Amino acid sequence: MAVKAAGKRQNTRTAVKRRNVRTNKIRRFDQQRVKTMKLAAMMMIILLAFSGLSYRLYTITRDNNAEYQKRILSQQRYDSTTLPFKRGTITDRNGTILAVSEKVYNVILDCKVMLDDEKNQEPTVSALAECFGLSSSELNSYIQENPNSQYYVLKKRITYDEMSPFLERQSTYNAETAKYNAKAKKEEKRGVISGVWFEEEYIRRYPNNALACDVIGFTGTDNNGTYGLEEYYNDTLNGTNGREYGYLNEDATLERTTVAAVDGNSLVSTMDANIQAICEKYLKQFSDEHTNEAREGLGFENAGIIAMNPNNGEILAMASYPNFDLNNPKDLSAYYTQEQIDAMNEEDTYYDALNKLWRNFCISDTYEPGSTAKSLTLAAGLESGKIIGNESYECGGSLTVADHDISCNVKQGHGTLDVAGALEQSCNVAFMKMGEAIGVKNTVKFENIFNIGLKTNIDLAGEARTASLVYSEDTMGPAELATCSFGQGFNVTMIEMACAFSSIINGGYYYEPHMVSKITNSSGSVVKNIEPRVIKQTISNTTSEQMRNYLYLTVAEGTGKSARPAGYAIGGKTGTAEMVPRDHKNYVVSFIGFAPADDPQIVIYCVIDRPNVADQPHATYATGIVKSVLTEVLPYMHIATTEEMTIAEQEEMDHLLENMINAGKESAENAENGDGEAGNGGENSSNENGENGSDEGSENKNGENGSNENGENGSDEGDNANSAPRYTVDPNTGELIDTETGEPAQVQSSFENGNGDNTDNTGNSDNSGNSDTANSPTGSN
Amino acid sequence: MDYVLLAVVLFLAGFGLLMVYSASSYEAGIDFGDSAYYLKRQGFSTVLGFIAMFFVSKINYKVWQRFDVAALLVSVALIFLLLTPLGVTKNGATRWLDLKIGLTLQPAEVAKIGIIIYLASIIQRLEERGKNIIRTPKGVAIIMVPPTIVAGLIYIISDNLSSAIIVMGIAVAMLFVAVPDYKWFVLLGAAAVAGVILVVVIATSGDAEGGTFRMARIRAWLDPEAYSTDRAFQTIQALYAIGSGGIWGKGLGQSMQKRNFLPEAQNDMIFSIICEELGLFGAMTVILLFVVLIWSCMVIANKTSDRFGSLLVVGVMAHYAIQVILNIAVVTNSIPNTGITLPFISYGGSAILFLLSEIGIVLNISKKCK
Repeated sequence: MAVKAAGKRQNTRTAVKRRNVRTNKIRRFDQQRVKTMKLAAMMMIILLAFSGLSYRLYTITRDNNAEYQKRILSQQRYDSTTLPFKRGTITDRNGTILAVSEKVYNVILDCKVMLDDEKNQEPTVSALAECFGLSSSELNSYIQENPNSQYYVLKKRITYDEMSPFLERQSTYNAETAKYNAKAKKEEKRGVISGVWFEEEYIRRYPNNALACDVIGFTGTDNNGTYGLEEYYNDTLNGTNGREYGYLNEDATLERTTVAAVDGNSLVSTMDANIQAICEKYLKQFSDEHTNEAREGLGFENAGIIAMNPNNGEILAMASYPNFDLNNPKDLSAYYTQEQIDAMNEEDTYYDALNKLWRNFCISDTYEPGSTAKSLTLAAGLESGKIIGNESYECGGSLTVADHDISCNVKQGHGTLDVAGALEQSCNVAFMKMGEAIGVKNTVKFENIFNIGLKTNIDLAGEARTASLVYSEDTMGPAELATCSFGQGFNVTMIEMACAFSSIINGGYYYEPHMVSKITNSSGSVVKNIEPRVIKQTISNTTSEQMRNYLYLTVAEGTGKSARPAGYAIGGKTGTAEMVPRDHKNYVVSFIGFAPADDPQIVIYCVIDRPNVADQPHATYATGIVKSVLTEVLPYMHIATTEEMTIAEQEEMDHLLENMINAGKESAENAENGDGEAGNGGENSSNENGENGSDEGSENKNGENGSNENGENGSDEGDNANSAPRYTVDPNTGELIDTETGEPAQVQSSFENGNGDNTDNTGNSDNSGNSDTANSPTGSN
Repeated sequence: MDYVLLAVVLFLAGFGLLMVYSASSYEAGIDFGDSAYYLKRQGFSTVLGFIAMFFVSKINYKVWQRFDVAALLVSVALIFLLLTPLGVTKNGATRWLDLKIGLTLQPAEVAKIGIIIYLASIIQRLEERGKNIIRTPKGVAIIMVPPTIVAGLIYIISDNLSSAIIVMGIAVAMLFVAVPDYKWFVLLGAAAVAGVILVVVIATSGDAEGGTFRMARIRAWLDPEAYSTDRAFQTIQALYAIGSGGIWGKGLGQSMQKRNFLPEAQNDMIFSIICEELGLFGAMTVILLFVVLIWSCMVIANKTSDRFGSLLVVGVMAHYAIQVILNIAVVTNSIPNTGITLPFISYGGSAILFLLSEIGIVLNISKKCK
């Protein structure tokens, strides 16, 4: 205060001195008036400033009102995010997954968000590098060059398991950093992992790779099915995408809403993946055996097998070869060399080759059926009454019809044949005479009845229409009638033949064939059951029984002998059709049959288009495959043997078994029949005198009952013997499991002896105790 | 007592609370899980401010003249305290003192009222010695050097240019009213305009990367669209808010800009939220209220025959006027962006406390005049 007082004094002194000096210079003024003036001036300035600002506010609003409103709305986040739906699953009749959509994630880096704080870069990049194996230097240089990039895909389609380590790391690291940062000074704060998000997507996976490829078809990420079930049931399998989006409500405020995705429906196929695998295995085996034999290329041009239940039209298997990996459908490398593929790319034939590979031979390709059609001719004759059954035919090796010499399959002729003999020997001359008796009108009528020339309407994409490939009453002359009677001159698809044949042997009921038995929604409840559908009665029950007998005899004593699996009675008809041009070079050989002979449970039709052999016209190529397939499939279907086996057959069976066992030992992917056959034989003999006679008193009924009894008695061994072979299928993935290692096995070649796996629902499952004895006959009940 | 002034202040403070809540509730809800977080704190400060106003209005304003030099010294001391560990750093600038009782204080706010008291007192004292002393260079120096030092300290220590400008503005305004001269102020104004032009020329001629932080701000001011993603982001978003409000606004609480686009909208940019929600109408009403407030102050200053009291009111009036004008000018991008709050309305505890205390002084003075 002393200082201040001194200062004041000094100030005062100075001021007084100055005043004296300057009084004349500076006019005296009225303080109050000056104040008022100055306040007014100040207020003026203030009001001027306010006016200016108000005007500015007014102009901003006037000039930009609409424009800025738009800008504000446009910078809000309404960007809608699509929530993808899950396409439905396709399973076989046992629940084996054939096609499934899996959620995968794309790793997206948002540089702008990450660089909110430059310190985030280091932890984020190192986490990305370590969790996803990315190069840190590349990441850093990308971020350096594109700091404003908001959508940079680092990695595509990783699984949840691949993604979760990053999420864990992010949450732990960020939590630790937050704890540390709470205490740290500003300069020492650390960055966090940020700016990385995961975009959801579904990809279609086919756990069994090539299995039933033509039937299933395939789907890209666009959820658009190509071929097979994927195409036919495309809309059923697809759901509706969900959406997360922002919108402005009536007060122009932004709301965000999520509409959940509706997942697609799932299909339960009538197909049995195991039967399918067996069929495919033997087709491939045949092809492999005959590759490059008579010409360059596979063992045949095309080949297919249809196995169906004649009593309800359900397709059990529909195999064709060559096949392709559904997970990689555009890969031709299995059938062509790289040079060939390059050449195809140049010539634009690449997709032709692919389409050829993708199309389903069993429903899309047409061919002349050959002698298998004789069963249809005979059934038509019997049903129309033109053939009674006691006729006899003279075959001299050829017949002249309308100036054409049409030769029989045996040049020197069959001599005198009755009706059964004509079918057994597949005598063309006899059938031409039958055709003549039936007449054009009835032939065309019955073709129509058997649905030849019409679509079967099977629920698969790409079924061929054959209406233009058959004769009508107007176009069918005597020569055409003659050739049609033994299956030449008109074209069919495999599925047409299989369905027509089924109706001949099942009592005359023509079922619409179908691949799907059930449609379920994403939560598993049934949306639709597809029931067997009888379209029409083709022939009477009596005729059908007669036909079964004739066909049984054809296999038992005639041309079909080589198709019979040991221990079973089956019926069927071979076919050897000469292709156009008729130069005795190219043939389609086939066999169509059913088993068991007296109570058909399965119809099997095998067609081989131009087998790669020097001498093609032998149906044995087809019958051999059918025999092998039935040998495995019939026991699998719990159809007991009815016939005694000769020593030769027994030996052959043992040999077959051994091969399978060895193959099974060599690699997990090869399957074995196990003790099935031998076990059946043993069991059958022991049960033959069982008390359970059925109406027909057939032996196989006894056998079946016997096995049931065993089952009830809790004797797993007996049942196991009966129901082997067994397949070990993981119900979740549908992949076959190596029971020794627990690792997924390669699926391509079917099955293995399922010791100890519980997932096979066709038979009793708890047979793990059998693993030691599985390789030896156990049918000791 | 001037009840018009009191009513306007009460209304502005109440309206301020409402707008603070409207502007901050969205962010507060996200950051603190309590949408009324800022409202509660500001409400507490406002109540404290009204209590202070009440007491100050009871104290004879002449008492303050005794503390003129003390006010100056306390202001300077508080600014220097920012250098001690008591200083609280937010957003890179140390502008607050931690009072260790859960409250923070902004020395710049103290300095403003300190300078007002000091200048009113020193001018009155000098005029007592001779009416023309303050017109001499020495007198001008005695009046202007302390505020210049205080402003310099505020700028250097707390990196707060806007408060420094306000302190200088108050000083110039008080001197302007005290002396009869115009010429010098016109020259000063012309020099200031010339300086501004010079700075703008320098800012625009230099290469884009060069120059200081403030130079960049000037460039952003001149061409906000070019810097709309970084420096001028806030300015552009404020303009969007103002422009989109139209005449009647989107309705109270309906601002879209306060959601993510105008961060901390309750602070400097609250006027743009007023424009967006209440439109041109609301903005003009607020401006009008401030005009009434300043007008009332002017009337009181004019009526008060006591030189010290009159100059105090002039200082307070200048303080309000400068701050309101600069704030609205920033929000409308009429001047480069610098952090200035809107009196009574923007969020800020120290500010509302001292603004209301100043009103208390003015109210007390208004009792004495007729």
